[in-house]
Amino acid sequence: MPRESFQQELDNLTGDVLNLGREVGASLENMVRAMETGDEELAARELGVDVRYKARGAELDRDSMILQARQAPVARDLRLLYTVQSVTNHLVRTGALSEHICHALAETAGAERDEDLEASLVEMARTARNIFNEGLDIFEHRDIDRARDLQAKDDKVDLLYSEAMNLIANPSDSGAGAPEWRMRAALMVHYLERIADHGVDIGGSTVFLVTGQRIEDAMRQYLERDINRDGE
Amino acid sequence: MTQSERTREEQRLTGVSRDRREGRRDAGRPPAGDNGTLGMKIQDLSAFYGGFKAVTDVSMDIRANKVTALIGPSGCGKSTYIRCLNRMHEVIPGARAEGSVTLGDQDIYAKGSDPVVIRRRVGMVFQKPNPFSKSIYENVAWGARINGFRGDVDELVERSLRQAALWDEVKDRLKESGYGLSGGQQQRLCIARTLAVEPEVILMDEPASALDPVSTQKIEDTMAELKKSYTVVIVTHNMQQAARISDYTGFFYIVNMGDPGRLWEFDETEKIFSNPERKETEDYVTGRFG
Ligand SMILES: Nc1ncnc2c1ncn2[C@@H]1O[C@H](COP(=O)(O)OP(=O)(O)O)[C@@H](O)[C@H]1O
Ligand SMILES: [Mg+2]
Repeated sequence: MPRESFQQELDNLTGDVLNLGREVGASLENMVRAMETGDEELAARELGVDVRYKARGAELDRDSMILQARQAPVARDLRLLYTVQSVTNHLVRTGALSEHICHALAETAGAERDEDLEASLVEMARTARNIFNEGLDIFEHRDIDRARDLQAKDDKVDLLYSEAMNLIANPSDSGAGAPEWRMRAALMVHYLERIADHGVDIGGSTVFLVTGQRIEDAMRQYLERDINRDGE
Repeated sequence: MTQSERTREEQRLTGVSRDRREGRRDAGRPPAGDNGTLGMKIQDLSAFYGGFKAVTDVSMDIRANKVTALIGPSGCGKSTYIRCLNRMHEVIPGARAEGSVTLGDQDIYAKGSDPVVIRRRVGMVFQKPNPFSKSIYENVAWGARINGFRGDVDELVERSLRQAALWDEVKDRLKESGYGLSGGQQQRLCIARTLAVEPEVILMDEPASALDPVSTQKIEDTMAELKKSYTVVIVTHNMQQAARISDYTGFFYIVNMGDPGRLWEFDETEKIFSNPERKETEDYVTGRFG
């Protein structure tokens, strides 16, 4: 096939993005475990990883821009480079949010907690991590059918978000936890919701990569097609 | 995941696209929602050299005041097709065309339609610049004069040379021979000569393929200006050029060696270069062809 070296460069770039994704995934895993087990030392070991992710993201953006300048990509090549840049951005941001959560956990080591709220946070963290991993997997395998399901999973995060916010706004009389922890909990809830969104967007970018359509358009077309079938 | 698996994946998701992909008997219809004026309408056009069918069943709506680019591997019939649009094809002994080509409300292949009149309404610029052995001025004025132009010839020459982005370079040496110009200037002179006859449609067959990058850029720059007054159809082997200058792009393709060329996909240029419907088009525009 012609343009073998260009294809090789595209494959390498995609591989580099997936590697960054796996690193960010490992950070998320540590964050979830630190939260589940109250392991503040584990959380403290994550501090500063966001700087590394940002630097790596800048390198990937530069590689992608050089390829665009040198190769004048069109059609699927252009969509791939566009998607790679967008996925990279989601990865870097997810990595930074995960770091911020670890920061909050480390800072509030030993502070008294609201058990219900903490349980909500852990549940949300697990779900957000799963959505992120799934988004990355969809990108790796171009498995766009699952991108649609991912949107539904994000609804669960939104539900947990309201639940947690409700607990923050209306603490129980006993066991409301330390104020500095409650304040950080509100931030963590927000960060976790963002992480889940980044995961969903990585899946959505994959729909664009494969079909050239925004996931919203693709979903509408898909639904309309089913309706038309029923009418036949 | 291999490319064909990805394509299947894509087909699975977009039912509408799939119908178009598989059917596409009407590859030449303009995209839905397009309401530009029609410049030329081509229906079921086939072209032959003696017993050899070089192009088959092309239907295409060419929009007025737009640039339509034709791309595709060499030998797939782009030149043959474009020459059918002003009855130049039949000039070759044994060559003929079937089907219909309508310009305004006239079928240019109808009995009694005069090829000379058609060629005045549909002008052509060739791959190699071919100025006459006359002065720059006469190169532009001559065609218009023999076509019965009665107006201000000086004005016509200046206007045509300006539209072809050549005026500033030649205004002080209009009496000199056209042969003294560089290749790129000669090609723009030929464009000016075509414009001076005031055609409705201008056909260009790889007009920049023999030119250096700067001249090529100048020819491309004239396109935006030209389409204000004319309908332009251009064959180009340079895909980036098609992407830069055209509004619509037609991809010609041959399935098997020895088969006639067909119009494989025709759509807005944006669509062809960002998300074409058919795999062969995508392979070609991304350079994965062959
Ligand atoms: N004058 C001719 N006589 C016979 N066959 C021709 C002639 N010109 C072109 N062909 C054939 O017609 C087919 C299409 O050629 P052409 O229109 O020149 O393709 P393209 O412009 O896309 O490269 C080719 O198989 C070519 O060999
Ligand atoms: Mg040709």
